[in-house]
Amino acid sequence: MKQIRKYLSGASALALLMATAAAHGAPPAGRLLASQCAQCHGTNGQAVSGMEKLAGESEGEIYKELIEMKARIKPDEIMHRQAAGYTDAQIRLIARYFATSGKVSTTTSTTPTTGTASRNKSRGDD
Amino acid sequence: MFSHNRRKLLQASGALAAAGSVPLLARAQVAAPRVVVIGGGFAGATLAKYVRMWNPKIQVTLIEPNPSHVSCILSNLVMTGALGMNAITLRYDTLRSKYGVSLVADRAVGIDAVNRIVTTQNGSRIPYDKLVLAPGIDFDAVPGLDTAVLPHAWQAGPQTLALKGQLDAVPAGGTFVMSIPPAPYRCPPGPYERACLLADSLLRRRRAGRVIVLDANNDVVAEPHTFHTAFRTTYASVIEYRPNSVVSSVDWANKTIHTNWGPIRADGANIIPPQKAGKLVVAAGLLGTNPATRWAPVNPLSYESTVVPHIHVIGDSQGTGQPKSGHMANSQAKVCADALIRYFAGEAPDPAPMTSSACYSPITSKTASWLTVVFGYDAATGLMKPVPNTLAEAPAPSGDHYEDMFGWANNLFADSFS
Ligand SMILES: Cc1cc2nc3c(=O)[nH]c(=O)nc-3n(C[C@H](O)[C@H](O)[C@H](O)COP(=O)(O)OP(=O)(O)OC[C@H]3O[C@@H](n4cnc5c(N)ncnc54)[C@H](O)[C@@H]3O)c2cc1C
Repeated sequence: MKQIRKYLSGASALALLMATAAAHGAPPAGRLLASQCAQCHGTNGQAVSGMEKLAGESEGEIYKELIEMKARIKPDEIMHRQAAGYTDAQIRLIARYFATSGKVSTTTSTTPTTGTASRNKSRGDD
Repeated sequence: MFSHNRRKLLQASGALAAAGSVPLLARAQVAAPRVVVIGGGFAGATLAKYVRMWNPKIQVTLIEPNPSHVSCILSNLVMTGALGMNAITLRYDTLRSKYGVSLVADRAVGIDAVNRIVTTQNGSRIPYDKLVLAPGIDFDAVPGLDTAVLPHAWQAGPQTLALKGQLDAVPAGGTFVMSIPPAPYRCPPGPYERACLLADSLLRRRRAGRVIVLDANNDVVAEPHTFHTAFRTTYASVIEYRPNSVVSSVDWANKTIHTNWGPIRADGANIIPPQKAGKLVVAAGLLGTNPATRWAPVNPLSYESTVVPHIHVIGDSQGTGQPKSGHMANSQAKVCADALIRYFAGEAPDPAPMTSSACYSPITSKTASWLTVVFGYDAATGLMKPVPNTLAEAPAPSGDHYEDMFGWANNLFADSFS
C-alpha cells in the first residue's frame, strides 16, 4: 500500500493517471475500423496463413493500395469490393492504425499471434 | 442503475485521485465492470476476446455448454468427406489462457433483467453490468420431422456426421431431397452450396440419381448467377431446382416428403427448417410484442436491445437485416465490444460503425465461389445499409478461390477463437 502511494507522487502519479485515462477513455482512432480487416488479415493485422499481413506495413503503402483498388474494381477480386466500402478518410485511419499499432503499445496485455504469411499475394495490379 | 452508479463512482474517484486527495486505491476497490456473454460461437467468442484484448480491466465471463465450437463454416466439406471434424472444431482454451476470459461450461436458462443476473442449468447465478446474447439460431418444428433421424446439420457437430451418413447411404440412382427455408436464415448461400456438394459427391461416386432442391423462396437467395449456372450446367444431369416449394410435413417411415406441390418419394433427405433467434432471446422477451418478429431488434451502434436495456444481441440472433454469417457475427462483435468499452468509460458508441461479410462456397470438390458486402451506418434511418458497389459474387468459381477459402477460414477462425 505504502508503495503504491509512494509511486503515486509526482510525475509517476501523472503517468499512471494518464494510463488509467487511456484505459478507460476513447479507443484509439481507427482501431474499430482496422479490426474489420482482421477476419481475413489476422488479429491486429497478423495473418496466420494464406493472407497478406498488414501489421507494420507503411501508412502510405496501405493507403495507396486501397485507394487504387476501389478506383478500379476488378470483378474477380474480393478485396476490391471490400476497399470500395470505405471512404478515403476511413482508409487513412485504417492505414495509420496498422502502420503505428505494431510500434506503439496499445492497451492490450497480449502478444500478437505468431504466424507466417505463407502467401504474400498482391491483390493490386497483377 | 447499478452500473451507472458504478461508472459515476469510477469517474468520481478518478477525478479525486487526479486532485491528489484520494489514493488510487479507492478506484481499485471498485470492482471491475462485468460483461457476461452467452454463447461461444463466432459472435460470442469474438466479443469475449476483443473486450479483453482492448480493455483487460473489464471482466468477461463466457457461458457456453460445449467444450469446443464446431464451425458451420467448411462443414459441407466434412459432409463430403473432404475434411475431418478436427478441421472445424475450435477450442476455447486460448480465450482463457491468452485473454483471461472466464469460461463457464454451462447452459444459460434464465435472465433477470431487473437485477441483472443470469441463471444457468446447474443453478449458478451470474451477475452482470452488461449482458451479450449470442446464442445463434433456433428452428421452427416441421411436422413429422425427427432431426435425430433426418439431421438438418444447420448447426455443426454430431449432425454434420449424421448428414454425411445420409449421403453415404443413398443408393445408386437414388433420389435425395433437400429443402431451403424462407429468408432470412443462417448463411444465405449455404443451402445452394450444400446442393452443389451433394450433387458433386454423388457424381464422383458414380451414384448420381437426382438431387431435388425445394426452395421456399421464389428464386436463389444468394449468388444467383453462380448457382443458376451450376444448376443448369455443371449439375444439369443431377440437380432439379424447384422454387416456391415448401415442405409441409415429413413421413420418413414411408420415405415421403409432403410439399405444397404434393408428395415426393426420397432415398435420402436434408430438411432445413425455418429459423428464428435463439431460444433465450425469445424467452427474455427481446423480440418485443409483435408475434411476427423472429430476430431481436437492436440499435446497430451498440447492438443493445431496443426492448430490454443492458442486453446486447449479436450474430445470427440479431435483427438488423445484415446477412447471418460467421464473418458478419465477428464483425458485429467488434462493434459491440467497442461500444461496451466506451460505455464503461462513460462515452457514446462510435457514431459510424462499419461491418462486412464474406462467404466462400465450394461449388465442386476443386472450385469455390465467394460473396461479399460491406455495410455502413446510415444516420438518417438508423439502419446498417450496404455500401454501393460492395455487394458482389465472384464472376465464376475457380481453383484460386478454393485455395483462398482456406486462408480466409483459418484467419476468421483464429481472429474469433485464438
Ligand atoms: C452449411 C453452412 C455454411 C456456412 N458458411 C459460411 C461461410 O462461408 N461464411 C460465413 O461467414 N458464415 C457461414 N455460415 C454461417 C455461420 O456459421 C453462422 O452465421 C455463425 O455460426 C453465426 O454465429 P453465432 O455466434 O451467431 O451463432 P453460433 O455459431 O451458432 O453460436 C452460438 C453458440 O451459442 C451457444 N448457445 C446457444 N444457446 C445457449 C445457452 N442457452 N447458453 C449457453 N450457450 C448457448 C451454442 O452452443 C453455440 O456455441 C455457414 C453456415 C452453414 C450452416
